[in-house]
Amino acid sequence: MSVPGITEPTEAIAQARAGDAEAWGRLYHDYAPAIFRFCRRALPTREDAEDATMEIFMKLKDKLSQYDQTRSFSAWLYKVAANHCWDILRRRRIRQDKETDDLESVPLEHPEPSQLEKLIEERSSEEVRRALEKLGTRARMALVMRYYSDMTYDEIADALGVRRAFVGVVLLRARHELRQALGGSSALAAGGKA
Amino acid sequence: MSEPTDPISKEGKNRSTQHLDEMTCLLYVERQLDRARGQEVSAHTEDCASCRTLLRALERESRLLTRAMLEEDEPLPTRLAEFQERARRSLQWIWPAVLGLAATGVYALYTTYVEPWQRQLEQAGFGGTNLLSLMIFNGALWKGWQSMVTFLEVLALVTLGGFGLALFRRRIRRGSALALVLAGFCAVAGATVALPSAASASEVRRGESAGVSEGETIKGDIFLFGERVRIDGTVEGDVFLFGHDASVNGHVKGDVFAFAQVLQMNGQVDGNIRMFINTLTIRGTVAKNVLAFVERLELESAAKVGGSVTTFVQSFALDGSVGRDVLIFSKHLTVSGKVGGEIKAKGDALTINSSAEVDGPIYFEGKNPADVSAKAKLASPVQYHKMERKPRYMEGHYYVWRVIWTAAFILFGMVLCLLAPKFAEEAIRSAELYAAPIGLGVLVFFGVPIAAIIACITVVGIPLGVLTLGFWMLMVCSAELVVGAVVGDWILGRARDTWGMIGRMSLGFVIVRIAYTAIEQVHVAGLLVGIGIWTWGMGAISLALYRRLAPVVTPSGPYTQPLPPGTTVGGVQPA
Repeated sequence: MSVPGITEPTEAIAQARAGDAEAWGRLYHDYAPAIFRFCRRALPTREDAEDATMEIFMKLKDKLSQYDQTRSFSAWLYKVAANHCWDILRRRRIRQDKETDDLESVPLEHPEPSQLEKLIEERSSEEVRRALEKLGTRARMALVMRYYSDMTYDEIADALGVRRAFVGVVLLRARHELRQALGGSSALAAGGKA
Repeated sequence: MSEPTDPISKEGKNRSTQHLDEMTCLLYVERQLDRARGQEVSAHTEDCASCRTLLRALERESRLLTRAMLEEDEPLPTRLAEFQERARRSLQWIWPAVLGLAATGVYALYTTYVEPWQRQLEQAGFGGTNLLSLMIFNGALWKGWQSMVTFLEVLALVTLGGFGLALFRRRIRRGSALALVLAGFCAVAGATVALPSAASASEVRRGESAGVSEGETIKGDIFLFGERVRIDGTVEGDVFLFGHDASVNGHVKGDVFAFAQVLQMNGQVDGNIRMFINTLTIRGTVAKNVLAFVERLELESAAKVGGSVTTFVQSFALDGSVGRDVLIFSKHLTVSGKVGGEIKAKGDALTINSSAEVDGPIYFEGKNPADVSAKAKLASPVQYHKMERKPRYMEGHYYVWRVIWTAAFILFGMVLCLLAPKFAEEAIRSAELYAAPIGLGVLVFFGVPIAAIIACITVVGIPLGVLTLGFWMLMVCSAELVVGAVVGDWILGRARDTWGMIGRMSLGFVIVRIAYTAIEQVHVAGLLVGIGIWTWGMGAISLALYRRLAPVVTPSGPYTQPLPPGTTVGGVQPA
């Protein structure tokens, strides 16, 4: 994943590592909007997102020397951001324990595809965004990591502290929550159980 | 909670309908199934319309999610837009601090070393504007210095211009500033080399016995090297004299610069004499000033010095006449002749005989009061100040200056780290090898100055020798900082960035300074520890330099990016 319109800032990273304030400023200028948007999706309020963005960039300054330049900078940046946001949410103890328990029951239903298609066709992006805000923290976090910042299952597992094998389950459960928030049928929301 | 099992069903199908379950479909869409399972799903969906539709719906759901999250382009809040500036501003305090420390360092350097020397030289009648121009650039050593002055001035201007451009590098293409500085440097260097050298007119004579015979006239400068050096004729320029036994009986219209065991000045010198001699006897006339580092100096009754005498000497007998001031650091000074100006003497003993005549005041700092004959003609009584040797550490200002110098060194280290962070880190890592840098440091610490002096003696190599000595001194100044950085790493662990490195260096340097200040009071231990620190630090810098300059053998062949772990084959990647 890369931030649209931005190529890998290899030189700027090297200069920022060497303490060049201008290079650091360029990195901030290029990546802060994307990270802010990530935080905005992952965290409950706009103020939280603003604080988190600043904290993430402060953290990045210290962590920049750890960045492996053979890998994507954006991916690494999102990983740092995801870890930070998840830490914030965890510290606030708003993570729901039942979500962990849910992982043990794997949804193996086959929902009605036409109902799902209909729901997707009828809902606008705006409605999806509003629905996302109603989701549980882990569900929302998982969807943002996967569908906004294109993080791998390994990275999501690492950030959320779950086994990689359960990342799919987390994502599927998050979709079910989302469908429910979008007003989909209970069958769609429950993965076809009803 | 029981240990969770792998949630992905091997069957992957809903047992009642034989359709693929949603989990399997999602993992297929997300390309998370292994190759075999992916092929099974592909085969199934060819025959199953419902599963095919579900796959398509899940893909569309993924795209809808991505679009919804990316679509709303929420502008960056003002608070965040200003954060970058604030973060930069938060570091701006450092620059006034840096300037303050720099000013303190320069002030310390000036008041401790430059100003006292300048004052004393001015009192000694040199009357110039600064030490460098008097001692070096005015042609005492090498006429080519004038070209060097021009070169250095131009180089300084070009460098300043480069720094100015570098400050605005955001507005110009990257690398232009450096290119300009380099281009300027090359242009100035080229112009300097192309210019004719003023030193080319000098004549050089070598041999067991070298000199200028009676009746002979040398039009320009002359360099004389020999066991015995004798000038009986006339030299219209300067004389540079290197020998064992030397005498100047003729007429030198310029200055005399001499290194010798014994030198007798019987003739006439219209300029200055500056020399490092074991025994110097002056019987003739020196129109201007005498600056001498000697063991024994005799200014006989026939001798006349038109200007001043400045000398560091063990024993000085002044029987002749000196037109202006006498500044002397000696063990024993005996004055029997005439001094037109003041006498400033520092030493063990001062004797003023009955034949002495001094027109100015006499200041004497010594162990015992001056022995002054009642018949001596003095403008005023001798002002005596008893010399008291008090340990430096007993004086408060010693610690004040210690703190100032520590701050100045930290500033110096900060500047070096910011200018060359990678090299600074390499030097610190090299220092952590301990044995290798210390071994190399011994070689550099003792070997480089010797090599530089040898280069200077060959005259042609003076610029090279001076540059080498300058670089050596820079390494000496940096050595303690490198050691400080290692100590800082011991305490706080390795730094991850430049400012972390500077912080550790500062902390470690302060600790080293405190420890060294205590050890320094024990003379031999202080010296040994000092040499140890210098050799270690210099060795580390040398090792880092060597590694930078040594050729690196890299394996050939194209780089192939490794495949990510768990590479799978699956369906179409969602847009």
